[in-house]
Amino acid sequence: MVIFEMLSWWYARGWNIFIKKLRTTLSNTVDFFSMNSLIRTLFKPYRQISAETAGANSSLDLRFHMFLDRLISRFIGFFSRLILLITGSVIILVGGICSLTLILLWPIIPLIPIAGVILTITGVTI
Amino acid sequence: MSSAFNSKNPRVRKARQKHSYNNPFMIVLNFILLITLLGGGLALLYIHSSFAWLLIGFSIIPLMMLFWIKNDLAEIPIVSSNDFTDLISENLLLLLNEKMTPANLVEVLPKTPGGAFIMARFGLTIPFFEQVLPFLPASTEPIYNSAKTIREKTNSAEITGSVLVVAVIENLPNYEQLLNQLKLNIIDLYRGISWFNYLNGIVKNSKKPVHSGGIARDLAFGYTPTLQHFAINLSDRYTGANYKIQQAENAEIIQKIIHTFSHDGRQNVALIGAYGSGRSTIVNSFAETLMNADSKIPNNLKFRQIYSLDAPSLISAASNQSELEYLMIKILNEIYSAQNIILCLDNAHLFFEEGPGSVDITNLLVPIIEAGRIRMILIMDHQKFLEISAKNPALANSLNKIMVNPSNEEETLKILMDRVPYFEHQKNVVYTYRALTEAYRLSEQYIHDIEMPGKAKLLLESAAAHANNRLVTAESVQTAVEKSYGVKVKVAEDTKDREKLLNLEQLIHERMVDQEEAVSAVSNALRRAAAGVKNQNRPIGTFLFLGPTGVGKTELAKTLSEVYFNGETNIIRLDMNEFVSASDVSRLIKEGASDALSLTAQVMKQPFSVILLDEIEKAHPSVLTTLLQVLDEGILRDEKNREVSFRDSIIIATSNAGANTIREKISAGESITELKEEIINDLISNGEFKPEFLNRFDEICLFKPLSKEDLIQVLDLIIASTNKTLANQKISVSLTPEAKQILIDKGYDPKMGARPMRRIVQKTVENIVASAILSGAAEAGSTLTITPSEINIT
Repeated sequence: MVIFEMLSWWYARGWNIFIKKLRTTLSNTVDFFSMNSLIRTLFKPYRQISAETAGANSSLDLRFHMFLDRLISRFIGFFSRLILLITGSVIILVGGICSLTLILLWPIIPLIPIAGVILTITGVTI
Repeated sequence: MSSAFNSKNPRVRKARQKHSYNNPFMIVLNFILLITLLGGGLALLYIHSSFAWLLIGFSIIPLMMLFWIKNDLAEIPIVSSNDFTDLISENLLLLLNEKMTPANLVEVLPKTPGGAFIMARFGLTIPFFEQVLPFLPASTEPIYNSAKTIREKTNSAEITGSVLVVAVIENLPNYEQLLNQLKLNIIDLYRGISWFNYLNGIVKNSKKPVHSGGIARDLAFGYTPTLQHFAINLSDRYTGANYKIQQAENAEIIQKIIHTFSHDGRQNVALIGAYGSGRSTIVNSFAETLMNADSKIPNNLKFRQIYSLDAPSLISAASNQSELEYLMIKILNEIYSAQNIILCLDNAHLFFEEGPGSVDITNLLVPIIEAGRIRMILIMDHQKFLEISAKNPALANSLNKIMVNPSNEEETLKILMDRVPYFEHQKNVVYTYRALTEAYRLSEQYIHDIEMPGKAKLLLESAAAHANNRLVTAESVQTAVEKSYGVKVKVAEDTKDREKLLNLEQLIHERMVDQEEAVSAVSNALRRAAAGVKNQNRPIGTFLFLGPTGVGKTELAKTLSEVYFNGETNIIRLDMNEFVSASDVSRLIKEGASDALSLTAQVMKQPFSVILLDEIEKAHPSVLTTLLQVLDEGILRDEKNREVSFRDSIIIATSNAGANTIREKISAGESITELKEEIINDLISNGEFKPEFLNRFDEICLFKPLSKEDLIQVLDLIIASTNKTLANQKISVSLTPEAKQILIDKGYDPKMGARPMRRIVQKTVENIVASAILSGAAEAGSTLTITPSEINIT
């Protein structure tokens, strides 16, 4: 009886819950890698290290120095964010594919024991 | 739909399954099965046996079981219908059955978290339910019906044990009367249900993950080493945490702050409110909102961190003003560069005025506030804001003011209910609901320097020290007030105290003679206060004693103090002939530090006392005007504008005004009652007192002159007092009737009252006793009997 109860849940609410759980995991991964922040601040200077701006009366030399400083900081920021963005994206992508596969495989999981019986009977070995 | 419990309901079946499978034994068993089958399968696969597929295939069953147990059997949600069984919380599903009687129901309710909660918090003990068992309905159906209605009334998601406890009570005949005995009403119980639901919600919420921005959240924001050194990061504790502190109460103010900071314009908020009104809680709540990635706030505010600048450490780190300004500029530069900081200046006035622990850097801060490039939250009270506004109108105009008003009773109770779990955790106690309501009532009455909800929280916290068996009740709160503020707030429950109050007149007459009207008036006032029926917004009693000198006006005040106010020393006596000029008003309200003997300083130190204003007619009219508010509302503000409460004092003013008329009319045979109105009218028409002043007293008591018969009793009391003094030497003194008569004849003076008698006793009796002791005629254990021949009055 318990098995039937479990199976009826498996193909109804269980499937739904499983999808929700995977979605939560993916959402947590997105949050962990700060994907939203990374995209929004992709070109911002790293840690605002050279955030100072030249004043209106600053010399051309100083202005150029500031500009260069800021450019380097932006480059470091962009590079470090890009690495995180790529790493996060790969993990999310792999996670997403695995999740989708599991969602699709979900209905046939209860059939695995039957497959086991068949394979045993047919005498398949590796 | 059905209002009966149905054991065939699918939820009941699910609850049985949960009970059978979602337990450590079954979970471990499934794990062992999974590992064994999978391990065995892999082992067989290794040795090329086709049976491996059988084991691997079947290993999926315990895996599926585990997933089913942990998800489908984790919780059994209610079903939206009107059926009782569909609506009850899952912990009740296995406790109820169809044959259950109301008595059985009462037995199982303490086993549910909700039932236990409401019974403990509201003092609804098992003996209470045992007493009411015979009055319960014959079946559970009306109780279940009430439970459904209560669930709707309290907006409860489900019918919990707490709802059922209240439903049981509602089904008792005269339940309101029963609750009154516990000093509760049905609304209190509904609040209890909401309280349980709220705490239950917090527990469930705390299990949900919080998105906190992730590892790269702060990559775009700058470093702030100097700021970190001189400020506290309020946002730190909310990273990835789910506190949800009092958001509902402060939602409107938080929305205003969010609106200010997310739009162009002046990027500052001035939270103006009294200490204790919850200003810091609002800032903390705002910090929590900003740190939660799921909050519905604009992106330009997400993950902004609030730093509260520590003024004392900043001031102590700088050796002079210029160094301080340099430090401040450094901090502000860091904040500007970091781009994710909101600066909070708690007690902001410390940065706008010179003084101990404060420094005036207005010139530095005002341009920054006006420019609006740094987001700032300034916290200050109304008074300080007015002072700063007067000094620097430009600054006041550039602030976005948000008023933080003290919470009302409903809001305060909600806030206390929210704080109680923290206090309970810290102090290892349990608070009852009545402790919360009592903390609100008494803090409102006795704590004047802090506003709600701060003062109620403070009192509730201090009440933990007076817990009885780890239970903090209304009595614990009352004891905390009595110990901290030196007042009596408990209704007289102790038999000794009650006896004393009921026989107060008799006790007073052990020290003074006659004056029944006045004695009865003050005794009644004290009984009203002790029984809790006095007006809470006035002193215990205000009396004006009129009459000739030496008739017992001051003596009654002293006696009262000794009998009920823990000793004659608990009297605050002001000779009003020392307050004869308008400038003396300031002496009444001086701060304790500069004049410990001012009226406000003494009452602040000792609120439960007799206040004797002797010879009130001699005080300057301005002094009397100042006292009007005290007599009327029991409140006087000292020179620092702090409210001083006189609501636990009994105020007695004495006056000799009209003494001659009283004496003449009483000798002419008029009664005190007939005379009173005439005397009062005379006092008003003579300009001695203004009608509005006399009208402020609860009672004006006339003291009649002492007769010769009264004087016999006065003499006895004086001799008793002498004997009390001699008690240490084990010597006593007595007078023969003839000797007494001589003293009375000599000591009687209708104009002077009892005072001449005291002098006569001093000159005669006390001199005789002194000589006898020194000559050795009086030894320990002896009694000296004074005869007429020994009395020598010159």
